[in-house]
Amino acid sequence: MTPMRAMVIDDSRAMRMILKRIVTKLNFEAVEAGDGKEALDLLADMTEVPELALIDWNMPNMNGLEFVTKVRADPRLREMTLVMVTTESEQSQIVRALAAGAHEYVIKPFTEGAMIEKLALLGLVPTGANS
Amino acid sequence: MSVEVEVNESDLAEMVEQVWESYLDPEGISPLIPTYDENQPSEVHSSVSITGSWSGHVVYACSRAAAQRAAAAFLAMEMDEVSEDDISDTLGELANIVGGNVKAMLPAGAHLSLPQVVLVSESSARYPNAKRISGVYGMWEGEPVSVSMWQSSADNKEEGA
Repeated sequence: MTPMRAMVIDDSRAMRMILKRIVTKLNFEAVEAGDGKEALDLLADMTEVPELALIDWNMPNMNGLEFVTKVRADPRLREMTLVMVTTESEQSQIVRALAAGAHEYVIKPFTEGAMIEKLALLGLVPTGANS
Repeated sequence: MSVEVEVNESDLAEMVEQVWESYLDPEGISPLIPTYDENQPSEVHSSVSITGSWSGHVVYACSRAAAQRAAAAFLAMEMDEVSEDDISDTLGELANIVGGNVKAMLPAGAHLSLPQVVLVSESSARYPNAKRISGVYGMWEGEPVSVSMWQSSADNKEEGA
């Protein structure tokens, strides 16, 4: 069975490592990008679109909200599940992200368990994953 | 613009506790022990700036050993595997997380900068025209760690106006 793939988009390498560790534990193959623009460039070169993207909000070059907006405008990327993972915790920001097309919103700091729970709610925790 | 700072030490302590629970001490075996000593030494620090409805900085400062320990915990590495880049990335993200949560408690219209990490002590750092208004100070496995808020002088002046 082909593993699902997750794109981890955050300008913090430390946060990318944490997120990558979690999704790898759930049997995803992880791809990393340091900002929205790099993520879009990587997606343009991929023949198969990842099932999941975990997206920081505040990043240089292209922020997470712009990335979500661009993904939602691209029919090829329509099936991607987009989860914002950010310190932006004001209600207005959450509403903006969800209105732009994000499926879920995780506020930093988060525990590994909380992240896995969110992904499970989205139906993205494969059966038998080490959660 | 003058705003009342609604983030107090208890709020900061709660944010710090969440960071420990999430990343630095998920097993709950080595919490940050409060010292209430704002003059405790530091060797490295990271900060994020907030502008807009409130202007100032959120600073994470600690000893080099505590920074190394934080990076090891954050990145699931052994202490002796931790590089300078790992320390820098981890401290930047810790400041970003606390700063983002502080910003969420401020009036609408506050903006958060990307984090800056400086591997020198907090006291050697320059926060022009800013004064420390709040902080959480403690020892983590015997090493000093603090998270503090510095308010820029424009807001300070208006506070007294």
